[in-house]
Amino acid sequence: MNVAYEDRFADIEPLLPRVEKPSRYIDHEWGTLAKPEADYRACLIYPDVYEVGLPNQGIAILYAALNAQDGISCERGYVPWVDMADAMREAGVPLLSLEGAAPVASFDLVGLHLPHEMACTNCLEALDLAGIPLLSAERGEDDPLVVSGGPSVYNPEPLAPFIDAFLIGEGEEHIVEVCRAHQRLRDAGATRSQILRELTTIPGTYVPSLYDVVVDETSTEHGYAIPKPGGDASPMVYKRVAANFAHTDPVPQSVVPYAQLVHDRLSIEVLRGCARGCRFCQAGMTYRPVRERTPDQIVAAVARGLEKTGYDEVSLTSLSTTDHSCCPEILARLNRALSETGTRVSIPSQRLDSFGIEMAAQVAGEKKGGLTFAPEAGSQRLRDVINKNVTEDDLERATRAAFAAGWRRCKLYFMMGLPSETDEDIVAIAQLADRTYEIAREVVPPAQRGGVSVSISCSVFIPKAATPFQWCAQTPDDEVKRRQQLLLHSVKNRSVRVHYHDADTSLLEAVLSRGGRDIAPVVLGAWKRGARFDAWTEQFDLARWEDAARDAGIDLRAVAQTPYSLDARLPWEHISTGASRGFLQREYRRALAGETTPDCTRTSCTGCGICPTLHVENVLAGERS
Amino acid sequence: MSDPRAQTLFRLRCAFVKHGRLAYLGHLEVLHTIERIVRRAGLPFAVTQGFSPHMRAGFASALPVGTSSDAEYFDLFMTEFVPVPDALERLRAAAPIDLAPTAVCYIDVHAPALTAAITRVMYRIAIDVADGYDIASERIDAAIAQLKEQGSIPYERGRKHKVLDLASTLVSWKVSALSDGGLELTLDTHISNDGSLRPEILLSATDRLLLGCAEDEGPIVSTGIQNLRTIRRYAICRTAQYVEDADGSLLSPLRTDETPSAPKSVSSVPSL
Repeated sequence: MNVAYEDRFADIEPLLPRVEKPSRYIDHEWGTLAKPEADYRACLIYPDVYEVGLPNQGIAILYAALNAQDGISCERGYVPWVDMADAMREAGVPLLSLEGAAPVASFDLVGLHLPHEMACTNCLEALDLAGIPLLSAERGEDDPLVVSGGPSVYNPEPLAPFIDAFLIGEGEEHIVEVCRAHQRLRDAGATRSQILRELTTIPGTYVPSLYDVVVDETSTEHGYAIPKPGGDASPMVYKRVAANFAHTDPVPQSVVPYAQLVHDRLSIEVLRGCARGCRFCQAGMTYRPVRERTPDQIVAAVARGLEKTGYDEVSLTSLSTTDHSCCPEILARLNRALSETGTRVSIPSQRLDSFGIEMAAQVAGEKKGGLTFAPEAGSQRLRDVINKNVTEDDLERATRAAFAAGWRRCKLYFMMGLPSETDEDIVAIAQLADRTYEIAREVVPPAQRGGVSVSISCSVFIPKAATPFQWCAQTPDDEVKRRQQLLLHSVKNRSVRVHYHDADTSLLEAVLSRGGRDIAPVVLGAWKRGARFDAWTEQFDLARWEDAARDAGIDLRAVAQTPYSLDARLPWEHISTGASRGFLQREYRRALAGETTPDCTRTSCTGCGICPTLHVENVLAGERS
Repeated sequence: MSDPRAQTLFRLRCAFVKHGRLAYLGHLEVLHTIERIVRRAGLPFAVTQGFSPHMRAGFASALPVGTSSDAEYFDLFMTEFVPVPDALERLRAAAPIDLAPTAVCYIDVHAPALTAAITRVMYRIAIDVADGYDIASERIDAAIAQLKEQGSIPYERGRKHKVLDLASTLVSWKVSALSDGGLELTLDTHISNDGSLRPEILLSATDRLLLGCAEDEGPIVSTGIQNLRTIRRYAICRTAQYVEDADGSLLSPLRTDETPSAPKSVSSVPSL
């Protein structure tokens, strides 16, 4: 290594009194697992500040998996907030890991988590603070191996030049295989390029430097990636799946922070995957198949996790917790076990039907804050297009039950700019919100009506890789702004509040979701112009990106707003969730025809292709209703 | 009719430290961490009844970010008696070293809250004089004497104009030279509902006196840790907190010498 692994806390301590929230940087939390004497060291970095990154469950899982290995130590890193980053640059202190306060550049492997597209400039910020060359091609024999994984790697191309290897899919087994292989090759004296070639033999590993990007008449202007001639990289990299998910440790979380976080609680992942098949949803494709833990395993895990961490809240996490076939039983058992301990149980999202409300009521106790529903589209026609299999009656029953059960605040999530959307669909959002408010007025006793609040939160549709809508264009940002105004003026009831997502940020998200390797210079250019913490509204400035794009000869709006032809080769098609191209095309055509597709955990197989391709299957703990 | 929720309660008082890096924790971060330590220790804590049930515990006055302590306290209400050595061992096993519990005892359930009981707070401040300043302990001593004479120090906290009343809060002080060349300032302070002494405000005012600078510099701003000119670095530690007896003698909040052999308990309805 270029830099020694040693404790450098003394270098950052003098900076702590001058920055906000020094507890972000002090480590020494309860439950850390790193082993400083280990032979092989990995540092996993979440590309945002400590309190955003610490609750991340993916990192908790990988941290536990790596530290369970003999001779491998895993530490954590976060991106210092702008005040600390500037102070560290001024003082000449590099980015340090948390547990060992050691330079990140002294680790064998540096892992960058990719939670969403807007984290890309923070990945560069972390590498630069660490003193690691930003471009994979410029890294030397003594630099760490830089890998990346997480929910947002299904179009890795805009970050391809910066990352040595992407780990596609579920990482708990994969990361261990990669570290073991790297350790073996390092000890055998392999060169960097030998190591990278060897890593491609591990399923799910994408090494972008071993692929050429080709632009031709079969592709979009962003091209497609094929293995370099003479190389043996696979033309198609399939995501990894933890097929035995139900047998993995349900309590990977061990670190208990001092700082107060947004999600400051024990998280137990009760199931993985969602087969409802919403056509805009990337997670719905990338986390298939559906795998449930058993109620016995979940109840025991909650008790063990609370004892181990001391948290007073447990969240039963998944993409759709109330879809768990045994959810009511699990909630009833937890309520019995946790009464008299002041411990809260929370479920992150509600099903939009009366069953969902019953389950929400089971965990809410006396304290009924707000309930959030996601109809996603205002009209039945558009909900059929996106395959959100929820009817107006479902929604009415759900909101009626919620207000009757004592909830007073209701938030409705929608998307704007969905394929085939018209002004009528926007007006329908307003009508749905007005109708919800009327229901509240009918159900809530007059004396309590003052507490009733209904709000709309409307984001902008981003076409995502590996979904049936991957060919779609994003609605132009000025048109988005017009529709936002239309929505504002269509809401009749003045008590209904309307929030909408910033169109500038959405434009960039679409660029990073749809672009190819040609977008990488724009990312680099934006970071060089000061872009970091782009996910923070007050830090984001579209002008930096527009300048960088101009220099790179890229038109951001053209990238976001040009539809792709259904038979064009797309920039990310060498990365596969296991869902077939034919399935995605079929779903796209059904969408435009307004035909819905059922949930395969409740009916029969709908032919996405993931189970046969990846040799996996849905695993349910009971019958789903 | 007796309230079915009435519980026999035991009130455990625990002394703990705040050392090392954990000096950088804020007050609320410490409170949350203590609550988690208690839960991990598996002690039979009482829970408030009502809208939002939570652990019944009480704390002493807030310690600023960056200030360490040898003597912090919390009270925990419990539904069952746990022998003192057992309770201490369980708390220590569940706590980070730098927030280690050092002693526990049982106190009367109806005794005043920690914030009301504690009226005297001692500090030790290690001071490194900045390069280029030759400041002996006598000059700091004289500066503090002059400030005490003036009686108060105006400062700003957020947008609020405040006054540190030295007449009522500063009981005594002592400056001494250490063998390593640094200085040590010890403060004996009085704390009440009317106010307490923030050592960094006193240091900041001392710094200005030593520089001989005029009022045109603008007000002292309470930012937690001060940027001083004559002082390169300082570290504040709260060394002790006391309850004052009727005759003015200082008692430990644990008052272990007064603890009865059997714990006091009463049947009471938990407050809402």
